[in-house]
Amino acid sequence: MLQAVNVSKSYGDTLVLDDVSVQVGKGEFVCVVGRSGSGKSSLLNVLSTLTRPDSGHVLYQGENVTAMGEGRINRLRHKDFSIIFQLHHLLPYLTALENVMVPFMNTLRPIGQEIRDKAAECLERVGLGGKGNRLPGNLSGGEQQRVAIARALVKSPEVLFADEPTGSLDKRNGDGIVELLRDLHTEGVSLVMVTHDMGYARLAQRTVVMEDGRVVDGEEVECVTHPKDAVAGEIITQA
Amino acid sequence: MNLLTLPLRTLRRKAMRTALLTVVFAAGICSVVALNYVSKAVGDSMEKKLTAYGANILLQPKVDTLAVGYGGFSLGNVSVDVKSLTREQVDKVRTIELHERIAAVAPKFIALTEVKGQHAAIIGVDWPEELMIKNYWGFEGKTPEAPGEVLVGSRAAATLGLKVGDRFGVQGRDFTVSGLLTPTGSEDDNVLFAGIEDLQAAMGKPGQIHFAEVAALCSGCPIDEIVTQIQQKIPDVDIVAMQKIVKARMYTVHFVQHLALIVSVILLLTACFMIALSLLASVNERKHEIGVLRSLGYSRGSVFSIFCLEALAIGMGAGVAGFLGGFGVSHSVMDMLELGKEATMHMEWWHLGVTLAGVAVISCLSSVIPAWKAANTDPSQALVML
Ligand SMILES: Nc1ncnc2c1ncn2[C@@H]1O[C@H](COP(=O)(O)OP(=O)(O)OP(=O)(O)O)[C@@H](O)[C@H]1O
Ligand SMILES: [Mg+2]
Repeated sequence: MLQAVNVSKSYGDTLVLDDVSVQVGKGEFVCVVGRSGSGKSSLLNVLSTLTRPDSGHVLYQGENVTAMGEGRINRLRHKDFSIIFQLHHLLPYLTALENVMVPFMNTLRPIGQEIRDKAAECLERVGLGGKGNRLPGNLSGGEQQRVAIARALVKSPEVLFADEPTGSLDKRNGDGIVELLRDLHTEGVSLVMVTHDMGYARLAQRTVVMEDGRVVDGEEVECVTHPKDAVAGEIITQA
Repeated sequence: MNLLTLPLRTLRRKAMRTALLTVVFAAGICSVVALNYVSKAVGDSMEKKLTAYGANILLQPKVDTLAVGYGGFSLGNVSVDVKSLTREQVDKVRTIELHERIAAVAPKFIALTEVKGQHAAIIGVDWPEELMIKNYWGFEGKTPEAPGEVLVGSRAAATLGLKVGDRFGVQGRDFTVSGLLTPTGSEDDNVLFAGIEDLQAAMGKPGQIHFAEVAALCSGCPIDEIVTQIQQKIPDVDIVAMQKIVKARMYTVHFVQHLALIVSVILLLTACFMIALSLLASVNERKHEIGVLRSLGYSRGSVFSIFCLEALAIGMGAGVAGFLGGFGVSHSVMDMLELGKEATMHMEWWHLGVTLAGVAVISCLSSVIPAWKAANTDPSQALVML
């Protein structure tokens, strides 16, 4: 459903993505692992339309995203794709519930009851039913990340991207978040997650291992435990 | 909740910054509004004073004079034929195209005669017109109302020993002093003023007018035009415009108005820069927020609007406060300048409308650069983790 084809990207002289091709099927759970600086975030940004590749292209449902105009890309980001970051990036001046509704505040049209209900439902879904009126500052790190997930959910996306969603959380909170994401995946959402934690990577249907801007291993999850590639093995043992 | 929620909440959260910006902007608008009202009032009052300080156009009968001199000695002019004006000629001044500009037409009849056995000049005037031109006159007593009442200049009164209520005869006609002029420092001090028709009748010269003064209102004055139009109506009369005085006065008015304009522009520019700078800082500070909004599908236009609306909200608040403040300030300034009586100001809703529209444009303009910068923030760059 989502596919990067021979994608390259460089910042100045540094080649960050070097002829990368990956594929995410409908309803699939893919993990991206690799050393720090190997280009995982860059790959996620290219897949989620936040960055345009220098060469190669990204296909979504058969359409060339890379060639799309601003308007269509905005619609993709608004409807089909949702991104969760390592830091929650909630708006500090809106309550949790309002933060969940932010995706629909992009026009002068007032938000209707339907969206309010849906937002409340999403908060409920991430286990924050009673805390909708709190400001982000009055929530714990794990709770903030849950609000960010609710904000991603409210759009009913086709693909959910998560860039180290557990990166700034302790083990217990991190486990909760990944649990939540996995539940969403079982409900039919495609999930692409960048992580450092091999424990989480094992939960994925497929793992993409990156090294110096290249994909070194894209096999089934079994291969993670028995890597045929020396580099991949090294990375995995480190992680 | 909609796009407006984001800028309004930001403003509320940064209440201190919002208050400071609003105060600065409001102060700018306040000064502009006050300067505008005051300079308009000063202009109006100058215009009134222009008539107050007398006429600016003089109508004289055409006099055929012959300059007589010999061997370098000027012996003055010899009037060959002294003519006079008629009432009809004088009245024609009010029929010109620019007649709304004519504030007063004051005909004069001069009589050289004897009062209480001494030589004296009595000027016959049309009271309402004359009092309009000479509204700087001060009185002891009252202005003449009934026929036969006269005003006496201060020095003439001293020389002739006249007091309010005194009576005297001229050519067999009785006159009563109804008032004494306080010293004016002009020729008016030396003469007596009587109703023109009374005096004409007393002197046996009904309808004769020696000259007439015309006061034209002159803001951006088409005085040449007025003179030309009068000349066309009464070709056989000499018309002299005292342009120098007019020009000098109008120069002052325009100078004040230009100064007010320049100061206003500087104040507003300063306020604009403050808003622009503060928004720029805010854009940098909120890079992550902008990145998230863009990743959630906000268009560049929406992000641009958020910052534009933020400036606009400050502008509207400052606009209303500044306008009301400026109106109040101009009132007190005018009281201070003692212009309050001469120029009355009215609070008109369309003034507020125009002010707010102007402020809206200015605040949007000042937010263009920060908002543009925000709109062009690359979401992936903005969200790079350090
Ligand atoms: N906006 C940018 N400008 C310049 N260089 C960048 C930019 N974004 C990433 N890079 C560089 O590209 C390389 C890959 O970065 P990327 O963030 O994709 O790595 P990563 O695998 O996500 O690392 P981490 O695990 O630390 O998040 C790094 O060397 C980084 O310095
Ligand atoms: Mg990263």
